[in-house]
Amino acid sequence: MNKRIMALTQSLFMAALFAVPSFAVDDEALKKDLTAVIALQGLPCGEVVAVKTQAENDYAVSCKDKNKYRVYLNAAGRVIVEKSK
Amino acid sequence: MTNLIKRKRRKNGGRGKETLMSASRICLVVAAALALSACAARRPNRLPDPPLTNASPVPTPASRAAAPATPQPAPPAAPRSSATTPAAKAPVPNAIKVAPPVVRTPAPVARSPQPPAPVAASPALDLNTLTKQLKETKAIGLFSKIALKNKVDDLLDEFRKYYQGNTKINLTELRQSFNLLMMKLLSLLQDEDKTLASKIVSSREAIWDFLTDPKKFATLET
Repeated sequence: MNKRIMALTQSLFMAALFAVPSFAVDDEALKKDLTAVIALQGLPCGEVVAVKTQAENDYAVSCKDKNKYRVYLNAAGRVIVEKSK
Repeated sequence: MTNLIKRKRRKNGGRGKETLMSASRICLVVAAALALSACAARRPNRLPDPPLTNASPVPTPASRAAAPATPQPAPPAAPRSSATTPAAKAPVPNAIKVAPPVVRTPAPVARSPQPPAPVAASPALDLNTLTKQLKETKAIGLFSKIALKNKVDDLLDEFRKYYQGNTKINLTELRQSFNLLMMKLLSLLQDEDKTLASKIVSSREAIWDFLTDPKKFATLET
């Protein structure tokens, strides 16, 4: 019994240890995607440094050059980038 | 006495095996966790696929305004590669000894005669495959793909208006928009999906020919 508990604890610990970096990878991919979207709209940004999820497909984005945008998918299926204060 | 020593040795050996077993178990757990994390890192985005409808295409003035200043008139047809390939392929049997000078000479000869038929450009174009590959590539994020599709829809809408005579935009301006869109697309692809980028580059003129031919363009509508 003790051995099983030990094994389970070990595997949970390892899973938790590696779960954090995988979330970080997702986050980096999202930042890169949003950087590309803002650039596609011809807006200044440089690089997205922080992303806050406001709703599904709706993000508040902070750029390296201090610009802030709201990037979201509207009902018509268009990606909209709005400059926010 | 010797029996006692033997028993002790057996006990020690047993413990060693136990620690070995637990070490191997830890190794297994670490390996499994690594594999899991690798899978997690490779998993696709959570967002839904980009919508396929031509929804509310509102032309974006930004794309037009940012267009490069050098308008490129629509070249009559095929890129150099497609025109020269038949000629270049002919001397292949003697390629080892004679090829370098022979391959170089036909290129200018192939360019000088009358413009090649548009049929020569069409083999490079496979819109369905390109669309599928663009949807599947991991070089572009999902939001970027949707934004790109919006831009493509906008451009197609401009073409539609152009053919209907509902716009003041001329073909040169459409070419600028097309070039800008291509540049945006290639800038997203060129680092992480070079194969697709080169495919798009090679079919660029074929796509333009497709768009500027009203009959071919009409097939897009169906």
